[in-house]
Amino acid sequence: MTLPLPTRRDEAWRYSDLDALASVWPLAAPERIALGAGERHSRVMIETSGGIVVRDLVIELAAGARLDMHLLNSGARFGRIAIDVTLGSGAEFNLGGVQIGGGEQVLEIITTVRHAAPEATSRQTIRTVLGGQATGTYLGKVAVARAAQKTDSAQSVRAMLLDRTATANAKPELEIYADDVKCAHGCAVGELDARGLFYLASRGLPPPQAKALMLHAFVAEVFADMEDETARETIEAAALAALEALL
Amino acid sequence: MTKNADALAAAEKASTYEWGFSSDIEQDFAPKGLSEDTVRFISAKKNEPEWMLEWRLKAYRRWLDMEAPDWAKLDLAPIDYQDAYYYAAPKVKPKLGSLDEVDPEILRVYEKLGIPIEEQKMLAGVEGARKVAVDAVFDSVSVATTFRAELESAGVIFRSISEAIREYPELVKKWLGKVVPQNDNFFAALNCAVFSDGTFVYIPEGVRCPMELSTYFRINAENTGQFERTLIIADKGSYVSYLEGCTAPMRDENQLHAAVVELIVLDDAEIKYSTVQNWYPGDADGKGGIYNFVTKRALCQGKNSKVSWTQVETGSAITWKYPSCVLSGENSVGEFYSVAVTNNRQQADTGTKMIHLGKNTRSTIVSKGISAGRSNNTYRGLVRVAATAENVRNFTQCDSLLLGHECGAHTVPYIEVKNPSAQIEHEATTSKISDDQLFYAMQRGLGQEEAVALIVNGFAKEVLQQLPMEFAIEAQKLLGISLEGSVG
Amino acid sequence: MTRNDERMRMLEIENLQAEVAGTQILKGLSLTLNAGEIHAIMGPNGAGKSTLTYTLGGRPGYEVTGGRATFDGQDLLALAPHERAAAGLFLGFQYPVEIPGVSNVQFLREALNSQRKQRGETPLTGGEFLKIARAQADALGLSMDMLKRAVNVGFSGGEKKRNEMVQMGILDPKLAILDETDSGLDIDALRVVGDGINRIMRKPDKAVLLITHYQRLLDYVQPDFVHVLAVGRIVRSGGPELAHELEREGYGAMAA
Repeated sequence: MTLPLPTRRDEAWRYSDLDALASVWPLAAPERIALGAGERHSRVMIETSGGIVVRDLVIELAAGARLDMHLLNSGARFGRIAIDVTLGSGAEFNLGGVQIGGGEQVLEIITTVRHAAPEATSRQTIRTVLGGQATGTYLGKVAVARAAQKTDSAQSVRAMLLDRTATANAKPELEIYADDVKCAHGCAVGELDARGLFYLASRGLPPPQAKALMLHAFVAEVFADMEDETARETIEAAALAALEALL
Repeated sequence: MTKNADALAAAEKASTYEWGFSSDIEQDFAPKGLSEDTVRFISAKKNEPEWMLEWRLKAYRRWLDMEAPDWAKLDLAPIDYQDAYYYAAPKVKPKLGSLDEVDPEILRVYEKLGIPIEEQKMLAGVEGARKVAVDAVFDSVSVATTFRAELESAGVIFRSISEAIREYPELVKKWLGKVVPQNDNFFAALNCAVFSDGTFVYIPEGVRCPMELSTYFRINAENTGQFERTLIIADKGSYVSYLEGCTAPMRDENQLHAAVVELIVLDDAEIKYSTVQNWYPGDADGKGGIYNFVTKRALCQGKNSKVSWTQVETGSAITWKYPSCVLSGENSVGEFYSVAVTNNRQQADTGTKMIHLGKNTRSTIVSKGISAGRSNNTYRGLVRVAATAENVRNFTQCDSLLLGHECGAHTVPYIEVKNPSAQIEHEATTSKISDDQLFYAMQRGLGQEEAVALIVNGFAKEVLQQLPMEFAIEAQKLLGISLEGSVG
Repeated sequence: MTRNDERMRMLEIENLQAEVAGTQILKGLSLTLNAGEIHAIMGPNGAGKSTLTYTLGGRPGYEVTGGRATFDGQDLLALAPHERAAAGLFLGFQYPVEIPGVSNVQFLREALNSQRKQRGETPLTGGEFLKIARAQADALGLSMDMLKRAVNVGFSGGEKKRNEMVQMGILDPKLAILDETDSGLDIDALRVVGDGINRIMRKPDKAVLLITHYQRLLDYVQPDFVHVLAVGRIVRSGGPELAHELEREGYGAMAA
């Protein structure tokens, strides 16, 4: 049976390009990733091709498993990456996501991180840069179950708009049923820091160069902790190329 | 220190709902259930003009086509809207100039409610006491308004909304339903159809209201929904501070409450709206308690206008409430300071919407959620920046405190930005009272519940500070009382 | 007061007036610095010391409403902030700005090469730059590790001020305006920073404007001239002895 096409009333689709979605509906079954106890895995996703890209990942991390994901969502007209992760006891999930879009692009990262057992850790760092009429969205839910004491979860979400016509949406959501947890989220949308730009200018950088330097840093921060040097350079280069195309 | 001592003393005193009593006054009921006839009955009871009846009927017809919202994080059985009374009024309707003339039975109720000391002094004619005007809403009908004369000499109109409809029809017609349209949401439409009474305030141009205005609400009849309607207009350059406080008697049946509050603020004007909400929350097993579905919204239409919402929400079985600001005037400011406490089986889904339409508009949101028992406490908020709104600033801080491991604390912030010059910052934290903090306080001689009350008051301090003094003390006591039995 | 007119004029400020957010802060300030001189401007809080620094640096929001400032023969006020830097002006910030994600090394190399490009000089290679950077960091007791970290992020107050001096050393300006560079420094750090200023800037072709509330930095960096700034103007000028007089008698006596 085919699921009906979502509408704006569906929380997870409230900012999506539903016309674009209709053209690829129904979606393929989600990609499943399961890591066994203590397993460790890294995953890099670079979505720079055009068209409509809808990625759906369902991930399960068993006790003590660790998954590091880094992703770049910059190419598609409608580019959506949805990740649903369930964390076992002591598991660790790290997500670094960058979205860079211009023109009429609609880009979104949708995450649900389920802390189902104690002492798991999750870290999400999302940076979005938007120009033109682009829309960039992050909907991120961290759900901490009753049993998931000592959960340690953080979301850091920032977006930068370059044009008056772009839109940034964010919903860093917490659903917490355990009392001994550390859950924090920070979210900021805005222009580049004027004090920082003046500081750079006072050291001799012309404004366009100062702006580019700060945007590079804004984005590159997400990939700074990648252990695989080659993978880091590849995704960083792709991100910088997307940024340059925008500036 | 004395404030904390007060809070601790109060926390010690009450282990059951202290203000749950029922007074014995004859009621004049509308027929049970909801139909056009009910709407006509209410309108007729209140001697309303034809336009008002038409307005109500239009809302009723709209309501019939609407559905109750399901997006809030509330576990709620469907409500049978035909199984409730929509109007109850004290049978002998007093027309009074002062509280002295009020039915002594009603006055005793106020006494039990613990109307703030400053106010009592003032009522007793003590010289130099701070002035607070009270528009007491007993169940559905406003029975007395004090200080009317002094307010009138300043040009301030402070009336029940029923009186205002008769006496100031042009003002009411102009603004009623302008901030919260009839079809805004299911509960607002319901309120438009059957609102029983409420408060109307108009502060004329350039007037700083000479006293704080205060309304006390009580639900006093079994199975009676209470549908308050409040409309406050602050004309250019004016200022008013409005206090809304409520307690309700203990009842077994759930009681429906769907209020609508509309604020209009013109150029350079300011409204400070403070609420302490202590409706009956139900018992420890979730039996009884008020269903509180409230639509509160301010329109900052004027340049440099400002609205500050402060709320302390400790009561009700269900709270669904998002006091919001539409910031359309240039340089207008919206503030939302909230403490929401849930214990036992209570559920609260509350927060705010800050809609930035004008240039240089600013908003601040500080939300402190405290969950205990088996309750659920959700902050839900929206910060929206329109493409036309240059240089918008918003800062949001949402902190949750969990007491015990059977409750839930949730944060659902929506951020939608269409202008690059906006600076929007949102931060959220979740914490519990640490064993170290408790031990430290107890080692210094505090009982466990005292220690909890102390720490919780500290957690909520930033918001409590925003309240006028009498309210701040009352609110501190409430926090302690609301959390009794939640630790240990 | 006598001046050696043979010396090259470095900075000439005439009747400078400036506003911040519609409030006039500088109300006709005049001051001349020649090459080879160190001047100190002292004054109470609110006198306009930081406004002077930022106005000369060209910070947005600091609006010049009257007067002139000539730097090395050019109209300083007509230049954008980065052009002022390329012309040889360095601001030492009272509160150095943190820039997450941008490493000191990357930042300074880009800044230096950008200045060199504006001056028509060839850019430095990575190796050449690192050599200069290492030398300056060593001289100020800042490790290369710190230079690789993001600009001022996680630095203590003292480290930030030392980092300002490292930057000054690397960029090698003609004129340094140092705003409260001594604030937040302990006695050892004060000596290190003072030594840095002397080493980098006490040269015949350079000049320094030290802006400070207290006399203590002047124990380490001897000024040739001391000026008192009050309510937006220079109200008194003199030699180093003026600083001691201020320390003894306070600003209150001076303003009277």
